[in-house]
Amino acid sequence: MQVYLPIAEMSVNAFLLIGIGFGVGWLSGLFGVGGGFLLTPSLLLLGVPAPVAVASGANQVLGASVSGLIAQWRRGNVDWAMGVVLVVGGLIGSAIGTQFFAWLRSLGLVDAVVAIFYIVVLGSLGSLMVMESVRAILRRRAAVPRRLHQHFWMHGLPLKVRFRKSRLFISVIPPAVVGVLIGLLSAVMGVGGGFMLVPAMIYLIGMPTSVVIGTSLFQIVCVTAGVTVLAAVQMGSVDIVLTLLLLVGGVVGAQFGAALGGRLRGEETRFLLGALVLGVAALLGWGLIQAPERLFSLTFD
Amino acid sequence: MRRLLLLLGLLVVGAGPLGAQTTLTQPPSGQPRIAVPLEPPLAPARPAAAPESPLIAHLSQQSAEISTTFAGSSIFVFGSSAVPLGLDGADVVVVVRGPTDAVTVRRKVRILGMWFNGPSSRFENVPGFYGVAGTMPAWHVLPEELRRQYGIGLDALEFQRSGASSGNFRQALEDLRREQQLWLEDSAPVRVEAGRLFYVRLPLPATVPAGDYAVEVMLVRNRQVIAHQELPFVVERVGTAATIADVSRGQPLLYGVLCVLLAGFAGWLGSVLFRRG
Repeated sequence: MQVYLPIAEMSVNAFLLIGIGFGVGWLSGLFGVGGGFLLTPSLLLLGVPAPVAVASGANQVLGASVSGLIAQWRRGNVDWAMGVVLVVGGLIGSAIGTQFFAWLRSLGLVDAVVAIFYIVVLGSLGSLMVMESVRAILRRRAAVPRRLHQHFWMHGLPLKVRFRKSRLFISVIPPAVVGVLIGLLSAVMGVGGGFMLVPAMIYLIGMPTSVVIGTSLFQIVCVTAGVTVLAAVQMGSVDIVLTLLLLVGGVVGAQFGAALGGRLRGEETRFLLGALVLGVAALLGWGLIQAPERLFSLTFD
Repeated sequence: MRRLLLLLGLLVVGAGPLGAQTTLTQPPSGQPRIAVPLEPPLAPARPAAAPESPLIAHLSQQSAEISTTFAGSSIFVFGSSAVPLGLDGADVVVVVRGPTDAVTVRRKVRILGMWFNGPSSRFENVPGFYGVAGTMPAWHVLPEELRRQYGIGLDALEFQRSGASSGNFRQALEDLRREQQLWLEDSAPVRVEAGRLFYVRLPLPATVPAGDYAVEVMLVRNRQVIAHQELPFVVERVGTAATIADVSRGQPLLYGVLCVLLAGFAGWLGSVLFRRG
């Protein structure tokens, strides 16, 4: 069944979009991330213009994350204070990011820069996660006792605030900076930033894992909402038909993925996610190095 | 007059196997746009009876509607000529021009082993759709300077341009537009029936731009355009697709907030309906 996307101005198969939504939703339910880092490249492959793919991808991640947030909130796993700090940082970051994106678009560099952002961020994150999880799997037998988190220079910064749910008493500067960076990346890459935020909260801020997922979802919902509105105002590139079709598959897939995810160990999940992230990075890198099929491309104003 | 319309109606029905399904149910009933004094319209014995315009052309539908299920459409042009068509006779040339827009053509270049967008060239007033068809290719029946003057044929399209000036960019524009089937040149000939009646169907792909189109029909004889008629055609968004595009353009802030609320609602609804375990 062909459906016309009014903003992307193209006709696509509705079942294909629902299928992509399901696949991405399944993976995101399994790994506890929004899944935008997989969705945007898939849309680009379908021929959706980059600005529409990025903005509509963020809008779909928003929808998919709302359901997860509701579930986590019921279990009391959301640190609202930490969430607000991350969100304020994230909104500043995404405002800078959308400006940056519009500027890149005027230079015609969007596709290359989005691809490089993806490769660098996914490549480094994927390798870190794979190495960390392999070490964790090996360490499991050794069972070395560990401290809650390491103390280093970051904990000497001023403006200390108590985050009760996370059982932390730290400066607001590191979470705010993390928020800004992830907001910036999500505006340029069209992702909620969950796959970057989750490791950042565990390893950099030192939050307990139980609170991380819920708080990350809260931040993703707010940041993607900001990105959606800003992209709609500045570029008019949010395609609600595209978003809703993806969501139909996405929300169903997420529930199936979450059911499977419950049966995997934490480090096994992290290893699989890391491998997936690395795979996407490698595929995109190959696309940038490989000689293009067409040397010329058209853009409209 | 009535005889002519009846004949045209029959012709359209007869063209069924060529894919005229949309017109089958709706034989042309509207009046031709240009009133031409065609007393006995199909009387070859008295060619002098129609001295004003020997050409009468019509569209089976004056518009194409882009709805949420839009997957392309077509323009069906038909009509009759008072002079015999075909070999040793006159020829018909049809040109369709869509709304124009500025287009930037970019060329990829290799930097540090990676491919990036490099030099670009900007073309003004590029038609979003351009189609030409004839009983014979236009270059075959018209002198070169006349064909260029009328802008018939892809190579006769001229644009104001800025930026990189290499001819490759103009060629790339043409190639990419042809590949998207937004520019057509003699993809299907204008067919002739009974030496007098002609028809052609020009396909519009799903990516056609919305806006006002002009369909130009020319009757060519002895390397001269002897009659000429212009018919308006419109491609418009309708229903939900139109509303979405209008709101997105006219009230972007409201649209953005609505997108957020809709996506949030869909996510909540999905989590309630499909909760497992």
